[in-house]
Formats: sequence, structure tokens, C-alpha cells
Amino acid sequence: MAMVYLYELAHGRSGDKADTSNVCIYARDPKDYPFLKRVLTVERVKEYFGEIVKGEITRYDVDTLCGMNFVMKHALGGGATHSLRLDSLGKSMGGMFLRMKVDTDW
Amino acid sequence: MKKVAIGGGQGFWGDSPDAAIHMVRHADIQYMACDYLAELTLSIMQRQRLKRPEAGYARDFIGMMKEIGKVAKERNIKILTNAGGMNITGCVDTLKEALLAQGVQNYRIGYVTGDDMMGQIDELMSQGVTFENMDDPQVGDFKDIRSKLVNANVYFGRQPMMECLDGGADVVLTGRASDSALFLAPLAREFGWTDADLDQLARGIMVGHMLECGGQGAGGNFLYDWRSVPRMDELGFPIAEVTEDSLQITKAPDCGGLISEQSVKEQFLYEVHDPANYITPDVTVDISHATIRNAGPDRVEVGGIRGKPAPDRLKLSLGYHAGYKVVTYLPFGWPDAYEKAQYAADILMKKMRRKGMQYEDIRIDYLGVNALHMGLAEVNEEMLKNLNECVLRIAIRTKEKRDAALIIPEISPLQLNGPPGACFFGGRSHVEDVIGLWPTLIPRDAVKLQSHILEVK
Repeated sequence: MAMVYLYELAHGRSGDKADTSNVCIYARDPKDYPFLKRVLTVERVKEYFGEIVKGEITRYDVDTLCGMNFVMKHALGGGATHSLRLDSLGKSMGGMFLRMKVDTDW
Repeated sequence: MKKVAIGGGQGFWGDSPDAAIHMVRHADIQYMACDYLAELTLSIMQRQRLKRPEAGYARDFIGMMKEIGKVAKERNIKILTNAGGMNITGCVDTLKEALLAQGVQNYRIGYVTGDDMMGQIDELMSQGVTFENMDDPQVGDFKDIRSKLVNANVYFGRQPMMECLDGGADVVLTGRASDSALFLAPLAREFGWTDADLDQLARGIMVGHMLECGGQGAGGNFLYDWRSVPRMDELGFPIAEVTEDSLQITKAPDCGGLISEQSVKEQFLYEVHDPANYITPDVTVDISHATIRNAGPDRVEVGGIRGKPAPDRLKLSLGYHAGYKVVTYLPFGWPDAYEKAQYAADILMKKMRRKGMQYEDIRIDYLGVNALHMGLAEVNEEMLKNLNECVLRIAIRTKEKRDAALIIPEISPLQLNGPPGACFFGGRSHVEDVIGLWPTLIPRDAVKLQSHILEVK
């Protein structure tokens, strides 16, 4: 079993709209894209973020870019100035996502 | 074949002007667009304007135009910007003065008014507009925030900016033009795209999307491999070169930054939700089958962008007073940095209870441990015990201003009255207003935008 940080296989960026955070995740190498699609299910991502993301998560695939877009509602502690988080805009949500550990033998 | 080049000069209010100045001086472009408005910016500008009637727009833009207004005119580079914020005519007047002081002549300032809908709320309510929160209809009733509104601005599309360009504008100033429409307007005008040219309009919007965040489209905030980005101290901002059937992203000559498949990709889906339905006032964009390919050094070709009809209604962004907030920091050094920071938090909370502080929410974090990644940070006993330093951060949200103010004078005394090694910095905190955002949809025909031209002779 080989557990690696998702960061080794993928890259991406997080953005904000009010209390919604989106994180786009791209395969570094296109050959890993099918694996990423298999492992990064909405259920897995929801469980990973736990209390940090309180709302629904939707995944949109863009196969031509070997990328996925995760849209996560109620994810920024209230969003904008309402949130008391240090990172109220979720600039670090991308890094948080990519520190997920995935089993490459899966 | 006709080619139009447009650059992205600013990513937000407070961005560095360096890349825009370099671009106007050295890049082969016909247009530059500068986005200053994030979701909350207009509410902040409105509050500034209420305190000082001459304020309420992005003054940064005037500073930048003092540097490049003249050279942009000489090189025939037209500039579009939403820097007007909540005080468009104030911005126009100041820009005029700045241009005259530089000896710029025969200059035309185009500007667009009418996005400020504050005066029409009651009328629209009487016409049956419910102002339901489009993000979350469960969040509450608009009537509860009606009396607390700070600003109400509608996101609008390319048309009024095109009218300004028709009038010979050298610069086009707006309020809440949608970020990407600042880029679409000159492209649609140059190529004669109409409402029926949905795929072309969608390409113009994606030009804006890739450029409107400035450096983020050229190797800034680049998670793929930040070490590979050359000369970040001279980071160039992205430029799009557009023809009827090609869209390439590049950057100015002789600057830092990186345009690659990966740097463009990271910006491409940034703040997009459903890639098949990216909604803008001009067109609904479908990038679910888009392609991004390297096309040379610092050059990327983007294709496969499709358009669908624009939505019936326009997005109205409402900002409203939602209470107060205070954030305080106190760092501690080794030994026992984390334990002492925790103890200081305990002291402060006991004091706040004794003083009867009423609050809506409190958050206590430890910078250097888990303030950013929260529950996902990898923390262990050994690391916590040996921490070299740790910053206590306490954030409190309250209904009343006086409650938020209670903690402020209690932080710096902990240097003398608390556990050892506290080092207060940055001066006393201030109570901040909390502004809530309430996005909603309104009928297009409720919005009356006007284009104007002011000649600077």
C-alpha cells in the first residue's frame, strides 16, 4: 500500500463566493486522472473536510483538462467578513485539499 | 487576420501597479482592463463615502494613471476599469485633474452610471420583486435586512462600455460592471460580435476570467510548482491575443512570471461553479469541454469554449450591516509557547465573562499550529511541546459594538500580567463592521444604465 499526499499527484486553486468555496483539482500527469476521479468522490471529500465544510459538495468533471471542480457550500465559516477564520476567503483550501492522503494501490 | 491584444492590469483593490505600468510601456496591446471590485469592495467603498463624500472609489487607479495616463494615450492603449466603485463621478473628476496636471490633451473619459440600485429598492418591492437570496433561499427574509442595507449594485454586461468606446473614450470607468465584461466589451466591439455570437461572447468572457485576477493568471499563487516561476519580484500580468478563431494567453516582454498549461489551468476554474453554466450578464459560458495547450514559451492556446444564451435576470449584490467583529493577536516564545498561548486565551475569556461580554461567535486559533488548516493540520504532542513560537489569535463577532471593544485593552497588559514571553505587536486592534452579502436576481428592465463622455481638452 502506498499512501501519498494528493499534492504529489495533483495541483489546483481555491476561490470564494460568499460562504461557498470552490477548489479545482487537476492531475499533474494525465495518466493519474482516472485514479483521481475514482478516489476523489464527493463522499470522500465531504468526510475529509468534516466540520470545516458544513454544506453540500458538488463535483464537476472537465475531462478535456484532466480536472475536477469541487464546489463546497457553507465552507468558509460564514464567508466574507462574517467568518471569524484567519483565512476567511479560503485561499488555503486548495492546500488543505491537497494534503489529503490517498492510497495509490486503491 | 485581425488580432486584438488586451492585458489584465489589476486583480483587486490594493494590487501592485508595477505590472500594469510595465505592460502599458512595453507590451504590444490595444487595451488594458483593470478589475478592482471583489464581492465586498463596494460595501467598503460605500462606508468610506458616507464618512467622506469625495471618497468611495479606487484611488489606486488615479495613482496608476498619473504614471501611465500619458503614455497609454501616446501608444493608443485604451483602459477599461470598474475603479469608479460607489463614486464614479468623483473618480472621473479626480482623473480629469490628474490628466490635466500631466498635460494630457484631447482625452476622452467614458463612464457608466446606473448600477447603484439603492434608490429603487422600494419601487421594485412594490412591483413584486422579492429579493430572495439566490445562494440560499433558507437564509431568511429580505425584509429583515431591508433597514440595514449598505449598498445595492447590479452586475452589468458589455453594452454601456461599448457605447463609451463608440464615443471615442480613451478610458472607460464604471461601477459594478462584471469583471469579465470589462474585457469582453472591447473585443465584442472590435470583432462586431452580436448577441447571436454566443461562442464568441463566451470566449471574450473567458479572456476576462483568465486576466481579471492579474498575477494569478501569470504564475502568482501557483500551487503546481511555485519555485519554477521566474522573477516573481517583477511578475508580469497576463495578456490575451484574440482573433476570430484563436485565443492565446501570453505576457509582456522582459518581465517575470509564467504562462504555462498549468498556470492557466489553475486560473481557469477559479471561482467557477458549474463549468457548463458559468453565468454572466452577457452569456452563459460552457467550458466543460475546453482545451488548454502550450503554444510556445510563455504562450498558451485556449479552445473549446462554448456559449449559451444569457440569463433573463441580472444579479444584484446587496451588502448589509451584520454586526461587529474584533480580532486580536498575542505571540509567545519558547519555552511552553503553545501552552502559554492557551493559558492567555483562558485568562482573556474569564475576563470577558466577568465583564459581561455578549457575543454571537468566538474563535480561538494558534498561528503556527493550525490556524489555517484547522482540523486538517497535522499536529502532535512533540511538536506542540517544542514549538519555538506561537501566536494566539482571538476573533469575536458581536451584535453591539461595545461588546466587541471589551477585549481590546486587555491584550497588551498580558505582557506584564500574564505568562512569560508574550510580545505584543501591531498596536491596539479596532472594532470592524461586519457586512453581510445578499446576492439576488432582478429583472433586466429594472436596470437603466447610462453611458457618458467627458472631454479633457
